[in-house]
Amino acid sequence: MSPQFDSLKQLWDMAGHGPYVWTAVLVSLAVLGWLLIRPVQQHRDNLQSIARQSQRQQLQQAASTSSAEPSEEDK
Amino acid sequence: MIAESQGFAGYLRRDLLLAYRRRGEVASPLIFFVLVSTLIPLGISPDSARLAELAPGIIWVMALLATLLSTETLFASDYQDGSLEQLLISPQLLALPVLGKILAHWLVTGLPLTLVSPLIGLMLSLPAAGLLPMMASLALGTACLSLIGAVGAALTVSLRKGGLLLSVLVIPLYMPVIIFGSAAVQSAIDGLNWLGPLAVLAAMLSAAAALCPLAIAGALRLVSNN
Amino acid sequence: MAAGRNWNWFHRMGSPRWFYETTGRWLPWLWVLTLGLMLTGLIWGLAYAPQDAKQGNSFRIIYLHVPASFLALAGYYLMAIAGAIGLIWKMKLSYMVMKSAAPIGAALTFIALFTGAVWGKPTWGTYWVWDARITSMLILLFLYLGVLALQYAFHSQETGNKASAILALVGTVNIPIIYKSVDWWYTLHQPATIKFTSAPSMHMDMFQPLLVMIIAMYSFYGLALILYTRVEILRRERKSSWVRELALRTQPAQVDQ
Repeated sequence: MSPQFDSLKQLWDMAGHGPYVWTAVLVSLAVLGWLLIRPVQQHRDNLQSIARQSQRQQLQQAASTSSAEPSEEDK
Repeated sequence: MIAESQGFAGYLRRDLLLAYRRRGEVASPLIFFVLVSTLIPLGISPDSARLAELAPGIIWVMALLATLLSTETLFASDYQDGSLEQLLISPQLLALPVLGKILAHWLVTGLPLTLVSPLIGLMLSLPAAGLLPMMASLALGTACLSLIGAVGAALTVSLRKGGLLLSVLVIPLYMPVIIFGSAAVQSAIDGLNWLGPLAVLAAMLSAAAALCPLAIAGALRLVSNN
Repeated sequence: MAAGRNWNWFHRMGSPRWFYETTGRWLPWLWVLTLGLMLTGLIWGLAYAPQDAKQGNSFRIIYLHVPASFLALAGYYLMAIAGAIGLIWKMKLSYMVMKSAAPIGAALTFIALFTGAVWGKPTWGTYWVWDARITSMLILLFLYLGVLALQYAFHSQETGNKASAILALVGTVNIPIIYKSVDWWYTLHQPATIKFTSAPSMHMDMFQPLLVMIIAMYSFYGLALILYTRVEILRRERKSSWVRELALRTQPAQVDQ
């Protein structure tokens, strides 16, 4: 099996069919990429917001249990 | 009235009676069918030859849309006045009353469409050879459409703007029916065997009659617990 | 719990936490596998495979069109099966998988349609042709959109899941009927069909990269499905202790002390 095109320019050109092939390829890859990137982002965002919520709750609990004592150290 | 409704015959009778009381409402899909069929020559061409070419498909599309229109309200009034709950808690096989309701629905929408179709065929220059196949395919096909549409109606009965969603859900499922329905008419016009596509329609109807009530029962139980 | 037989493994599999932790370990390998296969298949198909005698280089679109079509269809069945498992065994995780499968499948169907249309222009001179395959793909897209729309139409997530599951099952029963009907409809009106995706009559040199791409697409699908399901798990289980511990462990301090 050997390369069908002699240069990158020829690969891009595809003997005139370039626009069709590359439009199809690039749009498909864009959609596939989005399908993978979006859940990765959402995953990270979700973990961050859950962590933030938990930490806030922890601090609130710590504050309420030590409300009897003067709280200069931890706010 | 509700106490008497039991089983297939009970619900058939009940829904026919209800439809009779609201016959104005019930007539609208039929009127829609006729009115929209008049739009076609206005929108395309009054030329007989061109209309004749398109007639089978157009009549079928119109019948499909009219059926779809009427399917929205299949379970709606029962859901609103609580009789759907009654139906669900009664100790009987849910599939039978559901079939009764759908048969009533077809008698009141699909059957009139079928009977009026020769008139529409005349207006759209449908060749004479297509007349009987048109009625036969519509009779079987609209029954199929009622059954399939009822599944969508059951799934969306508890939603407020359910109508548009119902169309989105149900139209893809309608496509095989219209393919074979209009093909039966076109085959007859072309002098080919039209009983073949008709037999396929009959098979679809049998399958739908057997399977749709199951899906409908599941959907009704589901949305009543909403 | 069933007496006698130990169904622990089954119920354990239904646990979102188990799924999350197990797939977490597989993910790095799955990424490598997917990207590797995709890259290999694409480079092979675009640059090394011979061009088609009749269609020239535009035929190379097949390397994305066919795998996307396969997975779009297979994905619908997977979605329906996940829905069925959810309905029958009332497994939350199954519904989450079903919910994840819907957008992935819809996107793949879109890719199949888009690549098919772009391929059609140099081949048949027009962007849209009502041939059997493309029409069936279009109907499949509508089926996916219906499931997606139904899922988000209800206030209660549980009702939405069950309704979508029922619809997906109804769609599954219909898919063979739709495909056969459209096929028949097409041959009725167009006796001569140009089959540009007939695998058996393809030269081996063209078929091999296609096979690689199909496998790559399966791997991609699995990766995407797992990624989406994990997000859904985080969303639904955010109140549970294991999720909160996980978040605290893996995220730097968010709130100012």
